[in-house]
Amino acid sequence: MRNNRMFVFKAILWCVAGLAAAVAVLRFALGLGVATALSDTTPWGLWIGFDVMGGVALAAGGFVIAAAVHVFHRETFHAAARPAILTAFLGYGAVAVGLLFDLGLPWNIWHPMIFWNIHSPLFEVAWCVMLYLTVLALEVAPVILERTPFQKAYRFLSRLALPIMILGIMLSTLHQSSLGSLLLIMPFRIYPLWYTHLLPELFFISAICLGLNMVMFESSITSWLYRREPETKMLGGLAKLASAALAFYFVVRIADLAYQHKLGLIFAGTWEGNLFILEMLLSTVLPMVLYTLPAVRRSPTGLWLISMGSVLGFVLNRVNASGLSQVWATRSFYFPAWTEFAISLGIVSACGLIFFFIQEHFPVDPHGLNDIEEQRELADKSSPAFAPFTQVWLGEGWRKSARVYSMCFVVAMALGLTLAPKTEPAVTRKAERARGANVLRVGDGPRYVYFDHKRHQDEAGKEKSCGTCHHLHLAGDVGTPCSECHRRLFVPTNVFDHDRHVERAGGRESCAKCHGPGEPQALTVMKTCQDCHQKDMMAAGNTVVPAFKNPSAASYKDAMHKMCIPCHVTKAADPKVNLPNLGRCGACHDSGTQSEKAYKTEVPPGQEGIGRT
Amino acid sequence: MIQNPCILTDVTKCIGCEQCVAACKKINGLPAEDAPPRPGNSVDGLSADRWTTIIRRPDNHFVRKQCRHCAEPACVSVCPVGALQKTAEGPVIYDKSVCMGCRYCMMSCPYGIPHYEWNSAAPSVRKCIMCYGNMKSGKISEPACVTACPQKATLFGTRDAMLAEARKRLKAEPGKYVQTIWGEHEVGGTSVLLIADIPLEFLALNQGHPLGDTPLPERTWAALKPVPFEFVGMGLLMGGVYWIIERRKKLALEAGGAAAKDTRGEAGHEK
Ligand code: SF4
Ligand code: SF4
Ligand code: SF4
Repeated sequence: MRNNRMFVFKAILWCVAGLAAAVAVLRFALGLGVATALSDTTPWGLWIGFDVMGGVALAAGGFVIAAAVHVFHRETFHAAARPAILTAFLGYGAVAVGLLFDLGLPWNIWHPMIFWNIHSPLFEVAWCVMLYLTVLALEVAPVILERTPFQKAYRFLSRLALPIMILGIMLSTLHQSSLGSLLLIMPFRIYPLWYTHLLPELFFISAICLGLNMVMFESSITSWLYRREPETKMLGGLAKLASAALAFYFVVRIADLAYQHKLGLIFAGTWEGNLFILEMLLSTVLPMVLYTLPAVRRSPTGLWLISMGSVLGFVLNRVNASGLSQVWATRSFYFPAWTEFAISLGIVSACGLIFFFIQEHFPVDPHGLNDIEEQRELADKSSPAFAPFTQVWLGEGWRKSARVYSMCFVVAMALGLTLAPKTEPAVTRKAERARGANVLRVGDGPRYVYFDHKRHQDEAGKEKSCGTCHHLHLAGDVGTPCSECHRRLFVPTNVFDHDRHVERAGGRESCAKCHGPGEPQALTVMKTCQDCHQKDMMAAGNTVVPAFKNPSAASYKDAMHKMCIPCHVTKAADPKVNLPNLGRCGACHDSGTQSEKAYKTEVPPGQEGIGRT
Repeated sequence: MIQNPCILTDVTKCIGCEQCVAACKKINGLPAEDAPPRPGNSVDGLSADRWTTIIRRPDNHFVRKQCRHCAEPACVSVCPVGALQKTAEGPVIYDKSVCMGCRYCMMSCPYGIPHYEWNSAAPSVRKCIMCYGNMKSGKISEPACVTACPQKATLFGTRDAMLAEARKRLKAEPGKYVQTIWGEHEVGGTSVLLIADIPLEFLALNQGHPLGDTPLPERTWAALKPVPFEFVGMGLLMGGVYWIIERRKKLALEAGGAAAKDTRGEAGHEK
C-alpha cells in the first residue's frame, strides 16, 4: 500500500523548513531586532521558552526510557527505547541549533568551554547539553552502524552501551533540574504561582512525566503515519507509570504551594491563576486521572490524545515559567513575531525529517524497517506512478518525492525572503511613541502625553530657550506646565518673541517686513504669523475650523481642532483605517450646545480672540 | 581610583535637566539622539544608547536611573562566561569579546538595567559602567554624569562617605525625606544610592513590592552547590539498581530454568 499520508506530511515539513531557511538568512544578516519581537523588557522569548526550555523537556523521553529499559530492566518498553533515544538526540540537536539563532553572538557559543563561571546555572546547562549531546551521539551510533560494514566499531560501542546510558541519565538529571535553577534568580519577574525554591526539583519531576508522555505520543503518531499496529500493550504500561509519576508531581507541586500559602492565588480569577489551572489540568490532572481507567489504556486514540495534551501542558509550563508568568512584572506583553514561529517550527520540521530518514533507513524500530522496505518495494513495482487518465500522481516514487519536496522548500524559502521584515520595528506613531522616551507624565496615574521636546526647543530658539519653560519664570517652578503657554481651553497665549524676530529679520531696518511701510505699528495691521509660518502652524488645507492667525501658542482647543483633527479626518476617510472620525463634533462633545456652554463659561466676555488679527 | 566608589543621588535636588545623560553619552561615545523606542520596551527611557536616564514622576520629581553596581550583582553571577565582571574596586563592567549574547544578564537584573543593541548583527549588552575605564586610567576622577550635574544632585565618593552624607541629610530634614537610603541594603546593597522625598520602589521590576535584602545570587547558588553530589549520587543509584537486578537475574537463572522465565516479573518489582 502506498503511503500518501506520509508523503503529504513530509511535504508540509519541507515547506516549513524552507520558510525557516529564509528567516534564518535575515536573522543572521540583520540581527535579532529585525527577526524578533523581543525587547529589553522581554529579552527571552519563544526561542528560549519553547525551543530551549521546551526542547530539552521534550527530549526527556530518552533518559526516562533508557533508565526504565536498561537499568530497571522493564523489557516491555524495549520497542520504545531506540526511537526515544533518537528523538532525544534530535531534540538536543534542535536545542543547540535554536540557541544559535537566539544568541546575539552565536559564534561565541563555545565560550563556556574556556570561560568558566560555576555560579551560573546557564553555564551548567551549557556543559550538560554539550556532554549529553555527545553521549546521545554515542547511543545513537550503534543504530546507524548495525547494518554497515563497520562491525568492529558497532561491537565496541555496544559493549560501552550501559556506562554511556548511565552517564546520560546522570547528565539529564542535572540539566533538567538546572533549567529550573535558571529561573531562581528572578523572583521579581516570575509570578508567585510559578516561583518557588523547588523549581529545579519540579522541573526534574515534570521532565520524567513529560518524557513518558512524549514516548507514548511519539509511538502513537509513528504508528499512525506508517499505518502500523499501535503497540497497545507497551502504551498501556507506560500510561500506568505516567499516571503514578504525574500523581507524585501533582502532590509535590500543590503541597509546595500550600506550604508557601499561595493556594489562594490559583482561584483568584486572575489571568495568571487561570493560566495555572489550564496548565495543571492539561499537563497533570486530566492524564493522571484518565490513565488509571483501563478503557482509556486500551484505546490508542485516547492515549494519543491524552499524551498529546499532557505534552502540550508541560511545554506550556516551561513557556509560562520562563515567559508568560512574567508579564505581571514587566507589564509589557510580548507576542512572538511570525518570523520567530517560523524558525521554531522550521527546526522542529528539520528534526522530523531527519527522524523519518533515519527511521526509514536504519534499524531504529524492531519491525519498522521491514514495513518500510515492503512499502518501498511496492512503490517501485507500481511505476509509472502517474495515472494519465486522471492526471494524478499516485505513488511515492522517490524521484517524484524528491522533486516535490525540493520544490516545497524552494518556493517556501522564496516566499519567506519576500515577506520577512527587513527593518527593525520601531515605535513611530505618536500615540504609541508616548510610551517611549518623548513623553510627559500627566497627573498621578500612568498617563502620558506625547511631548516632542526637540521641536518645542527648536521652535522656541534652540539652546538659549531653556529659560522659556524651565524654572526661570515662577518661583520654585522647575518645568513650566503646558498650560502656561497653552493657557486654558480657549485662550491662546502670546508667545511671540519680538526681539528674536527683529534679530532674525535683519535688525532695525526690517520692521517693514511685517508691519508694512508707514502703517501704524499695531497688531491689527501687521502680517499674520501664518503668512510666513504656514507649514509650522499646520494651518494649510485646514477646513475644519478657519485657520488661526495669531502670534500665540495654540490654545488646547486650537491645538486639538487645528493640529489633531485635520489629520484624523483624512485618516478616517481611508477605508483601510477603521477609526472613528474625530472630525465629527459629537466624537468629543456630548452636544454642540454643551461645548458652546463650556466656551462661554471658560472665556470671560470681551476676551474672545485675544491677540487675533 | 578609589576603592568602593559610589554615586549618591539626591532626588530632591534634581531639576531634570538631563545634563548627566548628555555627559554620559559624550564620554561613552553614544549617539546624542535617541532612536525611537523598540515596541514593548519599558517607559523609563533607558536604551543601549542611553545608560542613564531621568524618570519624571508627578509633581516635578526627577529620578535618575542607572546601573546600581550591586555588591552581589545578579547579572555577574548568571553570566555563563563571565563577560560581566565585578571589578576589584566595585564597578560592574562588561567585555564584549567574551559575551555570547544569551541575554541572561538582562533577565536577571532586578532593575532592568542591561540593554541590548537589537538593531545590530553583532550586538553588545550596554549599561552604565561607572566610567570605570576612564577613571582607572586617570582621565577623570569622578564619573562624567556627576561632574555634569549643575545642581550637585548627584555626588561621588566612597560608599561609606556617601552613606554618611545620606544619613546626614535624612537626619537634617526628617520631614522632607523618606527615611530610607535606597540601595543601602536592597539585594545585598548597591553602590548607587538614592535619597528622595517619594518612595522609589518603582525603580525595581517588582511592581512596587520591596525586593528584599537577600542577594539574588544566593538563591541560585543554593541549588547549584550540591550539583556535583547529585551527579555522582545519581550515577551510584543507577549503577546500584542495575547491579542488584542483574544479580537477582543471575541467581534466578542459577536456581533453575523455571525461575528464569520469571525474571522479568521480578525485575519489575525491584523499582
Ligand atoms: S543593577 Fe543590574 S546590571 Fe547593575 S550590577 Fe545590579 S544586577 Fe547588574
Ligand atoms: S548576554 Fe553576554 S554578558 Fe549577558 S549573560 Fe549572556 S554572555 Fe553574559
Ligand atoms: S557613571 Fe559614567 S557610565 Fe554611568 S551613567 Fe554616569 S557617566 Fe554614564
